[in-house]
Amino acid sequence: MKKCLGRMFWVGVVLMFCGPLNAAAADLNIQSDTLLRGFERDTASETDAMVMPVYEYLQFDMEDIGTSGLSLHFYGWGRADLADTDYYDRNTDGELLYGYVEYSGKQARFNARLGRQYVFEGVSNESLDGLRLSSDLGRYFSGSVYAGQQVAMSRENSRSGDSIYGGRLANHLGGVYDLGLSYKKIRNDSSDAEEVSGIDLAAYLPYNINLHGFSSYNMVSDEWAEHSYELSASIAMVSIRPYFQQFQYNDYFGTGDNSSRLFRALAASGQELTIVGTDLSLPVGDSLLLVGKAKNYDYKRLYDTAQYLAAQLIFSGEGMSQLGGEFGTMLGDTAQNEYYLLRLFTYCDQLGESLPLDFISGDLVYVGYDQPINGEDSSLFLSLGTGKKFMDDALELKLSADYSSDPYFDKDLRGMLTASYNFSTSL
Amino acid sequence: MRTKLKIIFGLSFLLLGLVACAALDNGRDLPLRHYSVADMGQTTTNCLECHEARDEKLAFGDFVHTPTWLQSHRQRAYQNEAVCSMCHQTSFCNDCHATGNELKPSLKNQTETYKQMQHRGDYLSRHQIDGRVDPTSCFRCHGNPKSAKTCVTCHG
Repeated sequence: MKKCLGRMFWVGVVLMFCGPLNAAAADLNIQSDTLLRGFERDTASETDAMVMPVYEYLQFDMEDIGTSGLSLHFYGWGRADLADTDYYDRNTDGELLYGYVEYSGKQARFNARLGRQYVFEGVSNESLDGLRLSSDLGRYFSGSVYAGQQVAMSRENSRSGDSIYGGRLANHLGGVYDLGLSYKKIRNDSSDAEEVSGIDLAAYLPYNINLHGFSSYNMVSDEWAEHSYELSASIAMVSIRPYFQQFQYNDYFGTGDNSSRLFRALAASGQELTIVGTDLSLPVGDSLLLVGKAKNYDYKRLYDTAQYLAAQLIFSGEGMSQLGGEFGTMLGDTAQNEYYLLRLFTYCDQLGESLPLDFISGDLVYVGYDQPINGEDSSLFLSLGTGKKFMDDALELKLSADYSSDPYFDKDLRGMLTASYNFSTSL
Repeated sequence: MRTKLKIIFGLSFLLLGLVACAALDNGRDLPLRHYSVADMGQTTTNCLECHEARDEKLAFGDFVHTPTWLQSHRQRAYQNEAVCSMCHQTSFCNDCHATGNELKPSLKNQTETYKQMQHRGDYLSRHQIDGRVDPTSCFRCHGNPKSAKTCVTCHG
C-alpha cells in the first residue's frame, strides 16, 4: 500500500509538469561534469589492475515553470568502471543527491520543497524524501518545518516505519542578533532512533565583535550533546576568532541505527572532548595574508591532550590566482598522535597569451609521522593540473595528474580528465 | 494511523499558519539570488567590498569567506541557509555534505587548489590521527550508514 502511494505521488509530480501550463517561458539549466580517472590497484583477482572509473555528475534546474516561482531541481551522480575490474563492490553505482519541486513565493520568502532534498539548519544536517516549508513570519521571526523519510536509512532494513521530522523557529533583529530553536526526531523501523533539540545564537556586539553559538540537547539521554561557541573580532589589522567546543560522546554520537557503527562504538566510551582554539589573520599589504591557527584538545577519559598549530601564508593575485603555503603540526601526548604537515599550492588563471591554457594548478602535501604507519614515516603527494574553456565558456576540459608515495601506496600515479558542460536556455 | 492523521492535520494547520504569517509582512526583504558574476563584473568572496559589515537586514561581515571559512561556515549556514543559497546551489554543498558520495571533495575538484578542500593528499594515513584526536570532525559528514560507506571497508 505504501509503495503504491509512493509511486502515485511521483506520478503526480511528473503529471503536474505534463499538464497544460501557462505559455510563459521556463528557464532550463543543465550542468554536466564527466570525470574519467585512471589508476592501478591490487584487486582480489589481479595485481596492479588498471581501474578506470568514469563519473557523471548531472544537475538539472528548471525555473519559473508556467507559474512564476515554480521550479524543478535534480542532481545526482553515477559511476561505472570502464575496465570492468573487481575493485569496486559494484561495477556501477550512483546516487540521486536531490530531486524536488519547489515553489518560492515573493512574499516573505515563502518556500515549499517537495521531494528529495537537504535540510541544513539548526540541529538538522539531513537528506530527506519529503516536504519542507519555510517562511519569514513578519519582520522579526522566521520558521521552517520538514517531514519525510531519511535518505541515509534507505538501504537499511527497508523504509517501512522510518520517518524524520522537525523544524526551526528563529527570532532576529537585523544586525543585532539572531536566535533560533530547532528540533529533530528520527524514527527507524517504528522505533525512536534520535531526538534532538538545539539552540543557535548570533549576537552582534559593540566594537564589531560577533558571537556565534550552538548547543544541542539529546532528548533521549536527557543530556547536552554539544556546545560550540566562537567570537570574531578585529583588533587593528588582525582578525581573531577564538572558539570553544565541547562534545559528550555518549550524547553526540547516536546509538540508533541511523548512526554508523563506527561512531556508535565511540558513543559507548563515556568520553568528553573539549576544544579550545583560535585563528588569527593578518593582511600584509594588499595581496599577502598571514594566518595562524592554534587548537588544544582535552579529554576527560583515557587520552591526555593534543595540540594542533599551523601557519599559512597566501598570496592572492588577479582573478582567482593564488600562491600559498601552510606548515602545521599535531602534537599529541603519544607518538602515534604526532605529525607535521607542509603544503604548497598554486592556482594561476592569468596566463595571458603565453600559454594556450586558461589555468594551471599545483599542489604538494608532505606529512611526516612520529610513529611510522605500515613501516613508513612520511607521505608525499604531488598534483598538477590544467584546463581550458571552449564554446564560449560552455565547455571546460581539465586534466590533472597525481603522484603519491605514502604508507599505503608506493609510487602511485593517477590521472583524471574532466569535461564540464553547461547548457542554458529559455523554453 | 491516528498518529499519522494527527501529523497530517498538524502540518496542514502549520502550512496555513505559515502562509497567513507570510502574508503579513515582507520579512527581511532579502533577494532570492545574489547578482551573478556577470552582473557584478567580478568574482568576489568578500561581501564587504559592497556592503557594510552590519546593517538592519544582515550582518554581511559574517559571511566573508576568509581562509578559515571552511572551519567557521557551519554556524552561519545552520542559521542562515537562505543567505548561502543566494550564491550557492545545494549541489555545491553536496561536494562535502552528501548522503552517498564516492569521491572526496579535494579529488572531485582536483584543480581548484585555492579552495583548500578537505582531505587533500594522503588522508588515508593522516585521518588515523585526526580521527583519534577529534572524531566529531568526521561525524558531521560521515555519521550515517550511507555516508560512512567509505569507512566500512576498514572499520566494519
